[in-house]
Amino acid sequence: MKHSKFWLLFVLLFGLMLTLAACGSSDEEEPATDETTTETDSADGSEAMDEEPAAAESEATEEVTLRWRTRPDNQAEIDVYSSISDDLSASLEGITLEYEAGGSETSSYQDVLKTELAAGTAPDVFWIPGTDVADFATRGLILDMREMADATAGYADGDFYEGPMFHLTFNPETGNTGETLWGLPRDVSAFALYLNLDLLAESGADDPRELAANGEWDWDAFMEVAAAIDALGDDISGYGQSGWWGPYGYWINAAGGNFFNEDRTACGLDTPEALAGLEFQKSIYDAGLAIPYGEDPEPPFLAGQVGMFQNGRWATPGARASADFNWDVVKLPDGPTGPSNWLFWGAYVVNADTEHPEAAWELVQALTTAETQGKIAELGANIPSRVSQEALDAFLTFTPPANNQAFLDGLGENPVAEGPLWAGNWPEYSAIMDPAVSAVLNGDTSVDDFGATICDEANKAFTQ
Amino acid sequence: MSTMAVESQSSPPRVNNERLLSLAVLWHIVLALGGLVGAVFAWISGESLPIVVRISLTTGLVLLGILSATAVVMIRRRDHRGRVISLFINYLGFVFCVVALMQLLGIFTGLDAFGDTFGRGVVFLATAFIGYLIGAFGDRYNYAAQQRYKRIGRIIIILSAIGFLIAVGIFQGMWAVLSSYDSPMPFALSLGAIIFGCILWVMWRQASAEIFKATNAQKEALEGYLFLSPNLLGFIVFFAGPLLLSLYVSFTNSDAFNTPEFVGLDNYATILDLDFAALSSPNQLASEVLDTTVYDELTRFTILGQSYVVGAQDKLFWTALGNTLLFVLMAVPLSVIPALLLANLLNTKLRGMKVFRAVYFLPSVAAVVGIALVWQWLFNSTIGYINYGITLLTDFLTTNTPLTVDDPQIQWLSQSDTALLAVVLMSSWQWIGFNTVLFLAGLQSIPKVLYEAATVDGAGAWAQFRKITLPLLAPTTFFVMITAVIQAMQVFEQVFILIPGQNPAGPNNSTLTMVLYLYQKGFQRFEQGYASAIAWVLFFLIFGATLVQFRRQRSAGTAYDA
Repeated sequence: MKHSKFWLLFVLLFGLMLTLAACGSSDEEEPATDETTTETDSADGSEAMDEEPAAAESEATEEVTLRWRTRPDNQAEIDVYSSISDDLSASLEGITLEYEAGGSETSSYQDVLKTELAAGTAPDVFWIPGTDVADFATRGLILDMREMADATAGYADGDFYEGPMFHLTFNPETGNTGETLWGLPRDVSAFALYLNLDLLAESGADDPRELAANGEWDWDAFMEVAAAIDALGDDISGYGQSGWWGPYGYWINAAGGNFFNEDRTACGLDTPEALAGLEFQKSIYDAGLAIPYGEDPEPPFLAGQVGMFQNGRWATPGARASADFNWDVVKLPDGPTGPSNWLFWGAYVVNADTEHPEAAWELVQALTTAETQGKIAELGANIPSRVSQEALDAFLTFTPPANNQAFLDGLGENPVAEGPLWAGNWPEYSAIMDPAVSAVLNGDTSVDDFGATICDEANKAFTQ
Repeated sequence: MSTMAVESQSSPPRVNNERLLSLAVLWHIVLALGGLVGAVFAWISGESLPIVVRISLTTGLVLLGILSATAVVMIRRRDHRGRVISLFINYLGFVFCVVALMQLLGIFTGLDAFGDTFGRGVVFLATAFIGYLIGAFGDRYNYAAQQRYKRIGRIIIILSAIGFLIAVGIFQGMWAVLSSYDSPMPFALSLGAIIFGCILWVMWRQASAEIFKATNAQKEALEGYLFLSPNLLGFIVFFAGPLLLSLYVSFTNSDAFNTPEFVGLDNYATILDLDFAALSSPNQLASEVLDTTVYDELTRFTILGQSYVVGAQDKLFWTALGNTLLFVLMAVPLSVIPALLLANLLNTKLRGMKVFRAVYFLPSVAAVVGIALVWQWLFNSTIGYINYGITLLTDFLTTNTPLTVDDPQIQWLSQSDTALLAVVLMSSWQWIGFNTVLFLAGLQSIPKVLYEAATVDGAGAWAQFRKITLPLLAPTTFFVMITAVIQAMQVFEQVFILIPGQNPAGPNNSTLTMVLYLYQKGFQRFEQGYASAIAWVLFFLIFGATLVQFRRQRSAGTAYDA
């Protein structure tokens, strides 16, 4: 009995001590939070800006900890980002960095991020895709860094690609660009066609790279090559594309169409040009030359069953690792109105509720230097977002694929910049457009019916 | 003589108890006044708060004031109800102060971060285990040696525990706690915890129970509620609370980030708003008869030669509802009927049957995510094993029989007419194991004598199944059906993972289900108010479906609780 009481007391005391020790763990995790006192409760970041001098003064003398996050596609990228974080942590004076890899097979990067923003636990600096910038900015979730940028020697918007910077400096209140700074682009990317050179040689079709070099790589040539490869067997497909807005958007853009009207304030999917692009794309599927729309074409491509696989630079690491055949890339074929492509991008932005806006701005700049972008681009998944010949020259050396120039051609020849909808709701628009396009490409509805109804539905995304 | 002795012995404690009760009364007077004044203050100064927070705060403080005032009156009358009210208030107050203090001191986040530091102390934990073994080893010897071993073991355990605490940062922790006491709030909460705790102890004591003439039944009831309280509080805070909050949110335009505005029934009106219009021809455009700035064409139909079009303000909700109902209609029979047959097969005493039972149950305990990823590969139309199997079969039939069978090359996940079926197949496969176990339990509760008697009477296997098994299994079948329907109406993960690409709604929204839609609205498009309204509509649908099943079961005379 006496012993029982002793052990009971011992266990209770031990539990209490353990709980106390836990307080120490918490304290070690976020030392900077207690050391600095700048509060920024504003939703639009304006108050944060008002308090910058105090924050700057405080941060100049005290070590601050910043959490930052980006969406890596694989472990190799996680390792590189971690290494970059360690290097920057050592080089940025007074700033300690904690890198968090976001997203996984099962948890969407954006869904997790939005939930954390709602809960007030999101990192200080994080990456978002270009299409999300308007939504985040107008809801007051990200900080306008224009004042800090203007006060920074050596910073210029023009150092980055114009397309992303148009949206990243757009002021939704005045409708003018160049007045704000919501973030800086992490990287850019464009589509190319990944070629299975073995299938190509076996089919006897013309080499698309040579056709492109001769200016003969257009939609007709594409169809001929796809048909020749497809004829190799029942289990071989000439072409494959993933089921999201990027791939089908190329065909619409290359035919002279667009998702939106000119000033992006209404649906543009019912124009004759847009419908012509969709019609041509449908003809590829109707002819049975492609992996069925909606099926993931990457596994069959990597298994050597697809001749031409349309994807971005981010597919390169997968091809390097898994393709057991000769492969290269070629630029997308020129459409009826000439060459076209997407300019994909995402940006590092600053949490509007960060306690350290100055330090966060410093980090955003450090993450987008030519040196940092070069390290990431070397992995193969990214193209530097700085318009710097040095960076682009370095990118060309990151082989395979041998024809890296195809991506740069894509970025240089009339690309349409991926962008948010400042006058509407992009997720809503996409949710209406994607199923409707898939219905066309899967044969559930005709292009005419699509054209007759799509904008009635899609325009509702501009009234929300 | 003895009575007097007892009285004289019990008098001083009685006086002390009275004084303690007076303190409790004084405390409740303070609480009553504080509650009522606080309520007025909260209502006046809480204009910047969301209305639901303002009302909740004010109501809570008014209740505190009223209950405390009631407790004062009843404790003075020595009415046991006063004691109960006091215990209720002080218990909640104590729990609130302790939890708030732990939050303020960073203990919850600290426990989360504890995983990083715990590893440093593992060596000491291992040493403590060795100490335990040494103590246990002494049991082999005589009493004196036993005591020596146990003493050594105890010392090792205590030293190891101390070492462990130092290794994981007890000093840093104590310093962090002390450092947190840099504002009035931690002191106030600590004081509150002490006072609530003391008054709780005063009212709980046996002496107080005697003063209030508590009966055994009342004591047992209080102890029962005390044991129930952790679960009850958890239910209120983590289930009922969020449930009611979501009901409130469904009447707002909340986006989870900014202060929501009350919009009444607007969300429900948008969800349920439908419009019907007659068409002059079956192919007439909906935009010619519907206001397409508000409504989207949902469907069209023809009755007695007249065509109509149905428009919906939220077309996707109705699409999701239709898909969900279709899923229920396919997935429930496919997961229940095979489970019933399987349970009958597994309800035999053959060698190795337990292995089979475990194998069939495995999909139920496996993670949905892993299962869905595997099925995604199986369903791949070009390199998937299912289509590969079909190809082999068609080739075999074409080669070895007079039949010429075309290979269908089914696009399981990319065609609108097969995508939902693919989800049904995977979900049914996953749920069959669990349903089988339930049926198995039901089968094993049926007395064997009934089958023996039926056999003697000449009934065959089918007759026994139909006349004995099915009727006596009715309560189990009812339970399985209810849970299967609810599970099917809430299908989400299977679709979310299985359907490839960026939009799990699938080709032409054919796999958009109710929960997936509310997830997209709430967590991808920042429309938490609207998503909450969808959740409540779904709740009423499930509630209605369950109610219908209960009624049907009762009318059939085989109620589950019968």
